[in-house]
Amino acid sequence: MDKIYLILATLIFLGGFVLAVLALRTGKHGTGRLNVGLAVAGLVFQCLFLKERGDLHMRCPITNGAEVLVFISWSIVILYLALGRAFRLSLLGVFSMPLVFVFQSIAIISLLINDPGARPPETLDPWLEMHAAMSLLAYGAFGLAGIAGVMDLILDRQLKSHEPGRLFYSLPPMKYLYDAMQRLIVIGCGLLTIGIVSAFFMDYHPTALHWMVTGAVWLVYMAIFVVNLLRGLRPKALSKLSIAAFAFALIALSVL
Amino acid sequence: MSIFCLGVNHNTAPVEIRERLAFAESAIPRHLDEIRDLEAVEEAVVLSTCNRVEIYGAADQPGEALDRLVEYLISHFEVNDGDVEFYRHEEEAAAHHLFEVASGLDSMVLGETEIFGQIKKAYSTAQTNGATSRRMNKLFQQSFSVGKRVRTSTRIQQGSTSIGSAAVDLAEKIFGQLDGCRVLVLGAGEMGRVTAQSLKSRGAKSIAVSNRSFDKAEALADELEGKAVPFEAWTDMLDQVDIVISSTGAPGSIVKKADVAKALKRRRGHSLFLIDIAVPRDIDNEVNDLDNVYLYNIDQLQRIADAGVAQRQKQIEICRGVIQEFLNEKGIEALASVPVDHPERGAGTDSQSS
Repeated sequence: MDKIYLILATLIFLGGFVLAVLALRTGKHGTGRLNVGLAVAGLVFQCLFLKERGDLHMRCPITNGAEVLVFISWSIVILYLALGRAFRLSLLGVFSMPLVFVFQSIAIISLLINDPGARPPETLDPWLEMHAAMSLLAYGAFGLAGIAGVMDLILDRQLKSHEPGRLFYSLPPMKYLYDAMQRLIVIGCGLLTIGIVSAFFMDYHPTALHWMVTGAVWLVYMAIFVVNLLRGLRPKALSKLSIAAFAFALIALSVL
Repeated sequence: MSIFCLGVNHNTAPVEIRERLAFAESAIPRHLDEIRDLEAVEEAVVLSTCNRVEIYGAADQPGEALDRLVEYLISHFEVNDGDVEFYRHEEEAAAHHLFEVASGLDSMVLGETEIFGQIKKAYSTAQTNGATSRRMNKLFQQSFSVGKRVRTSTRIQQGSTSIGSAAVDLAEKIFGQLDGCRVLVLGAGEMGRVTAQSLKSRGAKSIAVSNRSFDKAEALADELEGKAVPFEAWTDMLDQVDIVISSTGAPGSIVKKADVAKALKRRRGHSLFLIDIAVPRDIDNEVNDLDNVYLYNIDQLQRIADAGVAQRQKQIEICRGVIQEFLNEKGIEALASVPVDHPERGAGTDSQSS
């Protein structure tokens, strides 16, 4: 049943994306609420999947790559729903859906080919749970920052070309995207810091590679945060760095 | 009882006729009383703007009511019968017309929103003066619903329709709300004034004006509630402003790439929007190559405005579809289902809040 929930969530996000693209192409507006509704529906099925997997493992369901991808997708969706409106970035959801769709599709294929099954812990370590959950929530924030970066670069290109396309009028202003990237990076850095600090209290001792990879991701984002704070990165530079840093974070995660 | 509409607008009557037929705002209550004293007219709403004069009403015999209204307008406003041709709509056509007006489809600037507020005001005036009852109340409430639905479900409001609005829309796309934006106007010409006024109307607060003739700069600065800056000093302001509007009569470019690049270093990542509406151009074209700087000249703004108008025109059929869908759902049938009654004069008893 868990895989059915995941497939349903994935199809809903695909549907939301297709609907938004069609609305943009045909000029029909007013699909914003429907998109939020679809994001909520997708989130419900994600939660059901994670609950089933959590019951199976008797702990936070991030025991394999597929579950990690779903957890990051869940983080992206929940952060979008929590912050998208506050940051005045309604279209962020539309841009998030393809990424969530790709992550979850990989997870579905992976689970259908080889589901590792239950991996209950010998003893439940809340610090380990905290470390994993906070770190992956941070990935959600970094993912959204990267998506805001993509939107900013599209807007920048359209403004520079003097030929606004269809997307132009639907994209949020550059300043909102710039502010959102900065805030999401701060949120992500905070969450990742909590995740790393939690790791010091775990019964299980992470490998040196684990420390290096996690530390490298933390350092990259802290460097962006500090340089931006001290010197004020230009929006285009921050966008490119947000995208590149998230790509690096994903590669780093795949190493683990 | 049937609904009807009689009127003229910018498409059917020249300004010379519209201005003669225009109802003075303070006199509308009296006119409403006089119109409802006409034989056959039961309810009335007068919509009088610079682009249209329309009377909506309800009557048992709409044809007769329309004839009485034409006689009233011709005699009261002293226009010759042959000089003006009123359009007349009854029942669904009248409702459809009002819905199109409320949606901005019948406006001179397609999709503009001011008309929506004007209709609300016209209805409110009629309602306050007891000139509406069930049919007009229902019709106008529906027109507000349709207007909102059209604007939220289509792109009729999207895109700029003039050089000024294109500049403002671009500024909002870069900075979001303009209330924190600082503007520098180079040159004291008409185009610069109009564009600066547009930005000011959308919230831009700090406006500086620089011109070779300082007196003219001061005069424009006073008008814009800004400050005048000596022409020799404007380059020092480049790192303090967000938007530059340039419309000087200089024979060559006065804003150089090097000046802007130097200012950018002090701007801590803040974007700069340059609007060059001068011919010959005031700003080096290469300035647009700088990161975070967006330069638009008059032709580029005009192209955006043209594309905006074309885009809005493409939306007309979609908007009409939304209106027809509404009418099919609950429009004229719902109006027709209201029992025929003859409300007491002055009794707008079943009004709904707008």
